[in-house]
Amino acid sequence: VTPVQSSGDFFDLSKSHVRRSMVLLALGALLGLAIAGYGLFTAKGTRSQSVPPEDLALVNNRPILRSDFMTQVQTEFATPFAESLPEQRAKVLKDMVAEELQVQRGLEIDLPSFDPDVRNALVAGVQLEVTADVMAQQPTDQELRAYYEAHKDRYVGEGVLRLRDLVVKSGADAAATAEQAMANAQQAVTALRAGMTVEQAVQRYRLEDSGALMAAGRVDTGEIFEFAARAKLARELYAAAATLQGGQVSEPIRQNDGAHVVVMIEHRMPVREDYAAAADQVWTDYKNEAQARVREANVRYLRSRADILLSPAARELEERAQ
Amino acid sequence: MQNTAGPAGAAGPKGARRQGLTWGIAAAAALLCGLCYWLHLRSLEDSLVRQWPAELAHDARMMGFAASLARPVYARHCAPCHGANLHGDHETGAPDLTDTVWLYGDGSIGDIENTILYGVRSGHPKAHNVTDMPAEGRLHQLSAAEVDDVVEFVLALSRQPHAQDAAERGRKLFYDKGNCFDCHASDAMGNTDYGAPPLLGPNWNYGGDRPTLRKSIYSGRHGLCPAWISVLTPPQIRALAVYLYVESGKTVPKGPS
Repeated sequence: VTPVQSSGDFFDLSKSHVRRSMVLLALGALLGLAIAGYGLFTAKGTRSQSVPPEDLALVNNRPILRSDFMTQVQTEFATPFAESLPEQRAKVLKDMVAEELQVQRGLEIDLPSFDPDVRNALVAGVQLEVTADVMAQQPTDQELRAYYEAHKDRYVGEGVLRLRDLVVKSGADAAATAEQAMANAQQAVTALRAGMTVEQAVQRYRLEDSGALMAAGRVDTGEIFEFAARAKLARELYAAAATLQGGQVSEPIRQNDGAHVVVMIEHRMPVREDYAAAADQVWTDYKNEAQARVREANVRYLRSRADILLSPAARELEERAQ
Repeated sequence: MQNTAGPAGAAGPKGARRQGLTWGIAAAAALLCGLCYWLHLRSLEDSLVRQWPAELAHDARMMGFAASLARPVYARHCAPCHGANLHGDHETGAPDLTDTVWLYGDGSIGDIENTILYGVRSGHPKAHNVTDMPAEGRLHQLSAAEVDDVVEFVLALSRQPHAQDAAERGRKLFYDKGNCFDCHASDAMGNTDYGAPPLLGPNWNYGGDRPTLRKSIYSGRHGLCPAWISVLTPPQIRALAVYLYVESGKTVPKGPS
């Protein structure tokens, strides 16, 4: 039997009251709805028809921040924002809206999928973001020294050479056969080692400069770095030159154009740089390596959460790369 | 049947009703007050963010509100580097926020807000990141002896004891080989476009003593401030900007309340 409840019992908390329960329930539900609605319409990323206070405008729900607007006005007109004219502000706003519209249009037509400049800018932006911390961190001297110790082989100064690459020509365009050229070159080597000057040997044994080391159309007998010599000379010739000390002469070396003789005038061998001399390069290498590690880690993370479908050919390449 | 209510029984239901009514009204009033207060705060926050900084600087009531909003935010997010007393930290190079020297901008509310939003070398594309203090010694721009000469010149600029001859040599290096004037300006007053501080003292980010200056010039500096745009709300950021504006010696202007 339902007890008869008078309206006077509504506020009597010592007695249960169905209507009171319903009213409190309704009030609770209304309060919950209000909180949920507020959260829904004011959450970050949610935009309603009204412009949030921190924004100056919404362009297709994309905000133009007041702060960015002020900075832009100051930058464009080189004047403090407070002193800028309404016309100047109006122009900046118009430009910012136009920029936002064009950026949105670019995304609409999927510009990043085919425009190399946009793609490069995006890649650079992402890399800058992920490496910001690494760029900001200053390695300590101990870290740099430890890095130097671990990579000592990299810090070897370039050697310097002064040499002549002489050749006794052979083949169709030359008077001598390959064997004659080798024999001739061998005699020249013997004579040079016995103390004959290079110029005398050139005349007597029909030697000539190969032309590999030229500067402004003339034979270059000046100083040349190891890496330059490596690039200019044939592999066998550089290998022979690298072992020669100043005043030494190589054995004859057979090449397509004839028999070569390398005469080393001066050779300052590569010198290992100590930490003080290599500090700048160590710092650069340390930072570059740290950035590369972060970039690679970022790509690994992106791959781990990406859905990448590979064709059989691509899969084969992936496996090869690994 | 025995009447168990007695004399109180007649007053009981009435008293209970009155008590219930009182609680109901109190609860409704508290709820209403809370709602009004919350709406008031929201309205103040909106107003704080919506006003242009120049207008805000003349609104003492809003400046006060901003300071009250900013203090706990500062204590939680900024104090670890800039110190609870805002005086910065020479160890990390976090600048003193109570002086009138600003690395970027002219110390207006808008400029401070911009720095808080995007930071300094924070990785955010809009962060201040034009350049940093190069390692003049480590990069062999200057020899170790030349670095020492420039240190003496900076000591002279900041009216500290210095070696006269070395300072004279340092002066030449400052304007010539060291290219220091390029960022710190010919008058050594600094350049807020580059975040290059003035060298006249007595305010220093890392310290103005001889060993610290030498370290700064020889190995360079690369200060960092995070971008707070994705951590703090717009009212919190604006409030911090106003708070720092006031604390940096800019007194709250008297104006209409």
